[in-house]
Amino acid sequence: MDVSDLKKNAKLEIDGAPWVVTDFQFVKPGKGQGLYKCKIKNMLTGSVVDRTWRSGERLKAANVESKKMQYLFSSPEAFTFMDNETYEQVELPTEVVGDDKYFLLDNIQCDVLIYNDRPVGVSLPSHIVMEVTECEPGVKGDTATNVTKAATVETGKQIQVPLFIKQGERIKIDTRTGEYVERVNK
Amino acid sequence: MSSRAPLADRVRAWDRALHAVRAYFRQEGLHEVSTPVRLPEVAIEPYIEPVQASGGLLATSPELPMKQLLAAGAPDLFQVAPVFRAAEQGRLHSEGFHLIEWYRRGRDEGAVRADVEGLIGAVFAAFGRAPVGRWETYGFLGLLEATASVRLRGDEDADALAAAVPSAWRVDVPDTMPATARDLYAWTALLSSWSDAVLDPWLAQQPGGVHIVDYPPALAALAQIGSARAGQGSAAHRFESYIGGVELANGYHELRDVLEQRRRFEIVAALRRGHGLQPLPMPEAFLTSLEALPACAGAALGFERLLMQARGAQTLADIAIDPR
Repeated sequence: MDVSDLKKNAKLEIDGAPWVVTDFQFVKPGKGQGLYKCKIKNMLTGSVVDRTWRSGERLKAANVESKKMQYLFSSPEAFTFMDNETYEQVELPTEVVGDDKYFLLDNIQCDVLIYNDRPVGVSLPSHIVMEVTECEPGVKGDTATNVTKAATVETGKQIQVPLFIKQGERIKIDTRTGEYVERVNK
Repeated sequence: MSSRAPLADRVRAWDRALHAVRAYFRQEGLHEVSTPVRLPEVAIEPYIEPVQASGGLLATSPELPMKQLLAAGAPDLFQVAPVFRAAEQGRLHSEGFHLIEWYRRGRDEGAVRADVEGLIGAVFAAFGRAPVGRWETYGFLGLLEATASVRLRGDEDADALAAAVPSAWRVDVPDTMPATARDLYAWTALLSSWSDAVLDPWLAQQPGGVHIVDYPPALAALAQIGSARAGQGSAAHRFESYIGGVELANGYHELRDVLEQRRRFEIVAALRRGHGLQPLPMPEAFLTSLEALPACAGAALGFERLLMQARGAQTLADIAIDPR
């Protein structure tokens, strides 16, 4: 692939390992080379490094395929998923799952990323609905301001929500940013 | 949560800035034109990628058609031109934007550099903002030495440059690069490394505006090469202007030597081959017209970036006119 195809979530093969672009910034001085300043995460080890590519460079896309799977259960070491077609179970190490663990609701359907027959990551739906299990009491009527309060959802994730949200309500969360989107009426 | 103003405010701001730009140039006696957006040929530039448009190319800049008008007898010109550059996307980059571009016959780049200051002042005034403050002018090589302790003469080849720059900036010239393009590659790589590591942070600290002048001959682009304005030796009569660390304008005392212009396009074409980029047609119609181009200077200033600065915005998205 050409360096101009770089974007967030692009998957690259570098020295035989799959990496995913987690942060991406394009800068270019007048008539100079463009610089593609990236943070990339090793999909096998979870380690993150800064890397800058220049206009005109070529990159190798990582051959990562995704398979539809259902999340089953977790241990301290790994998260276990089941392939929807073959019913085969695969394990993803906890450090590779990272903060995505906060979105893994029981039995949730997601895409598990496979690199050379090895599960290397999970791709979640862009939005997930979860129940608020803990938060301060709701404040009625305050729907206009941007003031927020802390809340905890069923997976244990901490999130900022508007003041009117009450314990036990269901909210939609953007899995890419980890931010509150809206209240979901039952 | 976005820091964008409501659409109605953004539209009013856009309109106000456009009015101020036009009022400035009309007062200066320049004439507004509108050149075609789809062109048969564009200037071959190192890292500016045109968008293909059914048999033609979308304008990456209105430079060639405006110079062709001047060569055919047009008076001093300006326009606010929609331009397109593939795969440029970021806080300060967009694939489609507007260039304010203007030409003054019989003048050198100092005259259009004064216009940069005048135009920015006029647009700032339209928004009730205080003037930019003092403008400082620095020679390219002097500023490189002052900010990064790298001392160069300006005529180094790729190997000499590699030996002179800090190791963190060293970029190997790719093996695929034709011999004629090695020096251009090395100088553009140096410019990008210096900008990113040192120059941009330094520019962001400057209280007023900054012009950088006297570019090394390898970075002359479409400017004449002559004796340096600020330093010694020979340099390209080209400048770049910045406020708040944001590059706003680029101007030339325009090259009129057809053979030299062809030679420069061929070097850039070789650089593009070395990168495996799509070949671009040699701008033959432009080269033919160049013989008749009157002595002139021209500059281009990014309209959206200027509006950003006038509004105190941080990104192009904050001032964009779109329905979102």
